[in-house]
This record gives sequence, C-alpha cells and structure tokens, in this order.
Amino acid sequence: MSVREALPDAPPRAPVTHARPKRRGGWRYAGTVALFLLPSLVPLVLYTLIPMVGSFWTSLHEWDLITEMRWVGLGNYVELIGDPDTRAAFLHTLYFIAGYLPLVYLGGLGLAVLLNRAMPARGLLRGVYFLPVITSWVVVALMWKWLLNPASGIVNWALGLVGVSGPGWWTDPDWAMPSIILASAWKDLGFVMIILLAGLQAIPREYQEAAMVDGATAWRRFRHITLPLLSPSTFFVVVISLINGFQVFDQVQIMTGGGPGGATQVVVSQIYDLTFRYGRAGAASALSWLLFALVLLVTIVQIRGQRRWVTYG
Amino acid sequence: MSRHIKIAGAVAAAALLATACSQGSATRGTTAEAGGKVTLRYFTFSAAPDHVKDLDTIEKAFEKENPNVDVVVETAPFDQYFTKLQTSIAGGTAPDTFELNYENFVTYASAGSLLDLGTVAGDGDTSVYAQESLNAFKQDGKQYGLPASFSTVVLFYNKDLFDKAGVPVPTADWTWEDEQAAAEKLTDRKKGVYGDFQPVQFFEFYKTLKQTGGEFLSADGKKSAFNSPQGVKAANWLVSKVGKTMPTEAEIGGTADYDTNLFKSGKLAMWHNGIWQFAGLKDVPFEWDVVVEPGDSAKASAVFHNAVAASSTTKHGKEAWAWARFLSASNTAATTRIQSSWELPPISDQQILSGYLKDPKPANRQAVFDSLKSIALPPVIKRQQEMQDAVTKELSEAAAGRKSVEDALKAAATEVDALLG
Amino acid sequence: MGEPRGRIRSEARTSTRALWAKPRRMARYAVVGLGALAMLFPFAWAVITSITPSDAVLSVPPDFTPEGASLDAYGRLLETLPFWRIVLNSAWIGAASTTLQLVTSAMAAYAFARLPFPGRGALFAVYLATLMMPLPVLVVPLFIEMRAFNLVDTYFALLAPTIASAFGVFLLRQAINQVPREFDEAAVLDGAGHFRIFLYVVLPLIRPALATFAIFGFMASWNSYLWPLIIIKSPEFMTLPLGLATLHGQFTTQWDVVMAGSVVSVVPILILYVFAQKHVIASVAQSGLK
Repeated sequence: MSVREALPDAPPRAPVTHARPKRRGGWRYAGTVALFLLPSLVPLVLYTLIPMVGSFWTSLHEWDLITEMRWVGLGNYVELIGDPDTRAAFLHTLYFIAGYLPLVYLGGLGLAVLLNRAMPARGLLRGVYFLPVITSWVVVALMWKWLLNPASGIVNWALGLVGVSGPGWWTDPDWAMPSIILASAWKDLGFVMIILLAGLQAIPREYQEAAMVDGATAWRRFRHITLPLLSPSTFFVVVISLINGFQVFDQVQIMTGGGPGGATQVVVSQIYDLTFRYGRAGAASALSWLLFALVLLVTIVQIRGQRRWVTYG
Repeated sequence: MSRHIKIAGAVAAAALLATACSQGSATRGTTAEAGGKVTLRYFTFSAAPDHVKDLDTIEKAFEKENPNVDVVVETAPFDQYFTKLQTSIAGGTAPDTFELNYENFVTYASAGSLLDLGTVAGDGDTSVYAQESLNAFKQDGKQYGLPASFSTVVLFYNKDLFDKAGVPVPTADWTWEDEQAAAEKLTDRKKGVYGDFQPVQFFEFYKTLKQTGGEFLSADGKKSAFNSPQGVKAANWLVSKVGKTMPTEAEIGGTADYDTNLFKSGKLAMWHNGIWQFAGLKDVPFEWDVVVEPGDSAKASAVFHNAVAASSTTKHGKEAWAWARFLSASNTAATTRIQSSWELPPISDQQILSGYLKDPKPANRQAVFDSLKSIALPPVIKRQQEMQDAVTKELSEAAAGRKSVEDALKAAATEVDALLG
Repeated sequence: MGEPRGRIRSEARTSTRALWAKPRRMARYAVVGLGALAMLFPFAWAVITSITPSDAVLSVPPDFTPEGASLDAYGRLLETLPFWRIVLNSAWIGAASTTLQLVTSAMAAYAFARLPFPGRGALFAVYLATLMMPLPVLVVPLFIEMRAFNLVDTYFALLAPTIASAFGVFLLRQAINQVPREFDEAAVLDGAGHFRIFLYVVLPLIRPALATFAIFGFMASWNSYLWPLIIIKSPEFMTLPLGLATLHGQFTTQWDVVMAGSVVSVVPILILYVFAQKHVIASVAQSGLK
C-alpha cells in the first residue's frame, strides 16, 4: 500500500464513470469534438503535415534545389545507413541527450522546488533564472565560449587555483560535447523550472498539510506526494526535452560549427549542411526521416510507459 | 459573462486578422508590369549593412536613365543568402537578377539557373571590364555573369611594431623566409604580441599552394593535385605559424573577430587580410600600411570576385542586362564604389581607378593594384562547399596537432577526389 | 527539509529543528542567490559588450570597466536598421501568433483531455509527430506550397506555420489533465455544455499554464529566423532576427551592434514575462485550489 493511499484525505481516485454533459456518440458530440479540434488540425495539416509529405517525396530524389529532381528511390536511405558520418552524427546526438537531459531535469526540478517556497524577492529570482531562456543563443554561446576559453577563461583559471589543469573544452574533441551540454543545460534550466513551477502550483496544499499532520518526513512527502502529482509536468518536460534534444542545432552551430574535427557534428547540423550548403536536399530529407523514426519510437515508448508512473488528477 | 465576450472577441479578432493579412501584398512576389513599367528584382548580399545607401544611389541613377524599369532590391546577409536564393529557385520565384560570388558561380551556371547574357546583350559593349574578371564569369564561352566588384588580400603590417623592434618593414620583394624571420623577432608572447596572423583554411591554402608553385586540381580538373611536395610545403607554412608566431585555436578561444581586434589594439605585427578592412582601420592610433603578400617561388594574391547574374527564368532579359551592366561598369557605379570603399569595380579605366589611390590611408594603396598582376583564383568545382569544408577541416586537424600535415593532406585529397568523382 | 514536522512531535525536538531552520533557510537562499548571479552573467556581459567601443569588444579577458563606454552601438543600430519598424513588425506578429496559438491549442487540449473519441491517442501522436521533423527540411516544401497559394512575401505566410502549436496542445493538455474532474462534474450538474465548461471551469484553472505558454509562443515567434528569412522579401516585413542578421557582412561583422540588438530584443520578452508571472501567481491565489 502506498503512502499516498494511506493518507487520511488523499485525493479520491478518478471515478470509473463520469457525469458528462452530453452522451457520447451521436452527431452532436462528433460536431463538438470537431469544433474543438479543427482550429489546430487544419493549420497543422496544411503547414506541417503537407510539407512533411513533401519532404518524404524529396527524400526519394537527388535534388540540389536549383535543378530538376532526379528519382533515386530508396537510394538516399541506403547511402545514409552505410555512411559513417551519419552514424557519427546519431552517436553525437545521443551523447548530447544523455548528458543534457539528466542535468537540465534535476537542475530544473531543484530550482522549481526551492523557488516554490516563500522567500524574499522570489519573483525576481525566478525572473533571473528565466533570463537565459529568453536570451538569444548568439549571446549565450559567445559567453560560454569565453567562460570556457582554454587559455584565458574563468573556468580554467578557477581550476588552476585548486591545482587542476583545465581541459581544452570546446577546442578539444573529447571535451567539445561536454562544453555544449553544459551551456545548453544552463540555458534551459529556467524552461524546466517554469514548467515544473506551474505544475507545483497546481498541487492542492491540503495534500501536503495532511501528510504533515500524519508525520511524513519532508523526503517522503516529496517522494510520495509532490513527485506523483508533478508527474504530468515531468512527463511533458521529458517528452519535449527529448524531442528538442534530438534536434539540437543552434548552439552547436554557434559554439563549434560541428568541430573540432567533426566531434560535435549532430544530426540536424548534418541535415542543414546537406540541404543548404551541399545541395543535397534529397539526402537531407532522408536523414530527417531516419531521425523522425527514431524520435517517434522514443516518444511512443514514453507514451506507453507513462501509464506506469504518470498520475492524472 | 464578460470573460465569455472577451474570448469570443479574441477568436473573432484572430480570424479577421488572418484574412486581413493574407491580402497584404499577395501580388508582390511576381514581376508585375504596372503601367508598362518593368519591375526588375535584384537580390544581393554585399550591400547590407554598410552600403545600402550606396546601392540606392546606383539604383536611382539607373532608374533615371531607364525610366521604364523599377529595380526592387532585396538583401540578405551573406551567411544565409544562398539558403534563400536556392529556395526561391526551387519554388520558381527566382529574382530576375542576383549577386553571385566566384566560388558559387560554377554551381549555378552548371545547373542552368543563369541566363546567357550574350543572348540579351544586343550590341552591349564589354570592353570596359578588366578582361580577367570578365572571363572569370564565362563558362563554355558563354557570359553567365558580369563582374561587379572585387577585393584582394594583402599583407597588413603595424609599422610602429616593426620600428620599435628595429626590423625593416615588409616590401614587395619579401618571401616566406623574410616573413617568418620578422614574425619570430616581433612575437613577444609575454606582452601578448604576435608576429603574424594567417588563418589555416581553404582560401589561404590554395593561395599559398600557388605561391610555392603547386596546383590544387589536375589540369583536366578531374582529380585533386594538392597532395604533393608543394602541398605539404604550403600546408606546413600555414600550420607552423600556429602556436609560434601566431596564437593557437585555444588562445583565440573562438572570439569573434579576434584577429581584427588584435591588430587594432596594436598587438599584431603582420596580418593577412582583405582590403575590406581599410575602412575599419581609419582611426587606429598607430602607423600601418599594406604590401603585396610575400611569396615563395612565385607571387600569388587571392581575389574575391562578386558578379551580377540574371535568372534563366526572367521575363526581362534586356532590362536585366542593362541593370547588370550599369551596376557593374557604369561611371556612377564605379565612382560610388571607390568613394565609399565598397570593394573595387572590375573595370579597365585607369582614370576612374586612380581615384582609389587618392585616399591617404594606407599609403601604399598601389599594392592593391600590384597584387592583381599575379592573382590566384580559387579552384572551383560543382560541390564547392563540401570541398572547402573538407580541406579546412583537415588543415585544422593538422594545426591543432591532432594529425600530421601529410596525413591531413592525404585525407583531404581522398575526400576531394570523392567529391569530384 | 527543515520545516517543523507537525504538532504531534515533542516540544524538545521541535525547538532543535527550529534552531536549525534559520541557517538552513539562509544556506538555501545563498545557493539560489549565487545561482542567480551566474544566470545574470551573460546578460551583463552582453550589455557591457554593447557599450564598449568596437576595437575593445570581446577582448580576453573581457574588461568589465571598459574605457570610453558609449551608447554608440545603439545609435548605429537605429541608423543601420529601420529599427522601430522592425520591432513593431516583430511585436505584432508575435502578438498575433501567440493569440492564435493560445486559442487553437487550448481548444485542442480540451478535446484531448476531456472529450473521448475513437483514435484520440493516435491523433495526439500525429500532433506530437509534427514536432519531430527538423525545420530545415520543411521550409523548402512549405515555401513551394506557399508559392502555389500565391502567398510568398505576405504577413499571412509568415504567420501560417505558427497558427497551431503541438507544443502548446501538449502543454495545455497536461495542465487540463491535472484539473480534478470533480470540477467539471459540478458544472455538468448545473447543466453546462462543453463550451461553458471549457470557458468557465477549465480555462481559469489552467491560467498558469496558459501564461507560461503565452511566453513560449511569443518567444518562438519573436526569435524565429529560418522561415521568415525564406518567405519574406520586402524590407517592410522584416522581423528583428532578420534585421540583426543583416549586421553580419560578407567579410566583417559589427559585434557591438549585434550585441546591442540582442540586448534590446530581450526586453519585450522580459516585460511579457514579468506580466505573465504576476498572472501565474494571482491565478493560483484565486483558483480556489489553495
């Protein structure tokens, strides 16, 4: 029996049947559903799904954008799957996610919990943590390059004080990806924080108070009340961060341009180069569909898995 | 109740807005002929941000001479210019006329995107152009573009640093050895002063290769030829500076315009860079000048050319020709460019060009024209960008000491051969 | 962590805890405060860079008390770009796109959270799938489509891809799912239909999420670059990121002006954030969930 169920006034589980305004089925109900959905569905179909179909069509061709398309069937896919550059780009992307996601989630969660408590100048502090989120990557990337400057950056200077000789950071193939991960997590902390804060604020205070009366420790309250009730927000953050993480691009472009020696070339960098710099829009589209398939798979696994840990009100 | 109204209002406003702005200027994209006037679109990367007004001057003068033509200028930053150009060609909305740099010219000419200007020139005279520049934009005997401007790369030097160290300033006769000897004497790492700065990348490599008598591509253009003793020598010359007379990648630390600022702050003795830097150096508090770049067995200076081309789909070939010619070779255009230091006009009229020499700084402006006596045009292939990226990447590996120069060149040659094959 | 555990504990223990509560609170505050300083850093740096004379810009290490500091870069920003025109464009496009997204996303989110229908899960997956395709490969087909509709170089084309947001649908669906169903049910007993529940019950309760999404929606539009770059030709439609990009020349870039532009471009979002944040807190106070 979980602590949550043991609590004196735990929120009632959602009843199996709900009172509904109109009975399900019937034209009227279908009309209501359509009315709610069409305003977003129509533009999504027109301005995202149709271009997606277009990119699939492109992926079956060799195309430099300026001459006629040439049909190559699955040629682009075959070529990409056998290409070491593609494999490297996927590996680099996964490396990025593996470093970025835990950092940004745990950091953002910690911040959200801390800044959900009453403290002086709380609103200001939240605003400050949100500042990097709204600052452009141009500024953020330039600043991190400077902080992590191997020769004269503050980070290596500080490491030097404690007798550690700092690495070459983004100029060293081994350290370039960690540098990008660090900068990205730092920039996106505020994003995770603000989503989780909104989630935290939706948790009725009675639950916490009831648990307190019951003598549950702070950790148990966090583990068994806050976390489960925050799980819809967590689910959102994880799904979105993964979708965005797989498409990491801007920061790589500005910080390392895929270097040094290709060590940070990620999938979308590759896609951008292929489309607009190398005149290979067909191969780029094929690569996008490979990426799409991977992200879709990961997301479906998460949606299937959410039943085990995501609690809805 | 009021909330209900508010939201309903928002929905209605949104719907209205969507219809209102779709009307906006839907007729814009096309080359409409209103009242017998031809609208001619021109797409450019070289005007913004500093020379929009100068382009405007040229445009006004052209429209005065050609009252039936209305030139509409569209600009994009160089980095994204080709993204936009390619997309508009793909979408069938190519601008009537557009700018191309020499490196990208072949790609577009080979793709059939450009109009053979010979077919619309009528009795248009091309003798006003410097002939090498004109020929650079010919393919298979057809003139697909008119050279509009060029810039050369020269050796900038800080005269004060040379004088203080008692080192004689560079002359046109200098070779690599002279440059290296001076650079070593002038480098004072403790004070953060460097003797030399020459980026390790494709454009410097093909040029130094030519300076030492090597070739980048085989004579038939079907194979790479730079993995040769000359290639190794040229690459070594570039790579050997890094960390000795020139800061390393780590020291530069990715700082934007590091070299420009280093030179401007008086901490760089010699600097390989383009004449586009002249304007920015007007007010530096030390004496500086330029000289033709030192060579090894030969002299070779890099030239960057931009041209005006017309789309093969334009309906206004004659007007496109007139505009391209006016923009590249008219007196108005040439003098506007010279007066505003907006690169140089590729014309043969020495009278107009001599205006360029009147500007007092740098004193040796003549070096700019001298550098044209032996120019090195970049090797150009259809898959240009991939070639440039591959060569730069391998050379940086060598510069960072992660690969030997020989291995780097070998790898680069393999990649370039694959791109050619 | 450091809070008193409850009234059932013994007096002695409570006072020990209380003794520790203050230093802990201080320590927590110090951590949050120091972190905040680290967060402010890039902004301070950008401001300093933007008021530093060009040749001293980006010197290493940077000079935080630059000599000859001036607002010159801001002057040149106004000079080189039709700045106010650009800001106005970006602002109204951002406002329009945010409004449209809020409306379309909230409605769809309600359907996905509260209106069961066959294939709902699959349709939601399709929505999410629209987020998974990298933009660089979509812009070319989308451009061709716009060309076919004769919409190239119009405000509508600029807005079109931002009318609906799967991100927003997802965010708001999660928020609606957190709203206890008892609230709807009470409304149903009063005889309310779905539109009334949506407007009067659900929307007020998810105001924190709506405010959050408004910020992100506006930010996405405000910062969007690739699509405006491709679809816009006329200078009078230029948005802020496009304007700032024109400061990068073929051979040289004016970094101090770029920084000045970046500083200015943060301000409207900051204002929006301050406004929206107030809203977030206020709405929680009113919602009756407290």
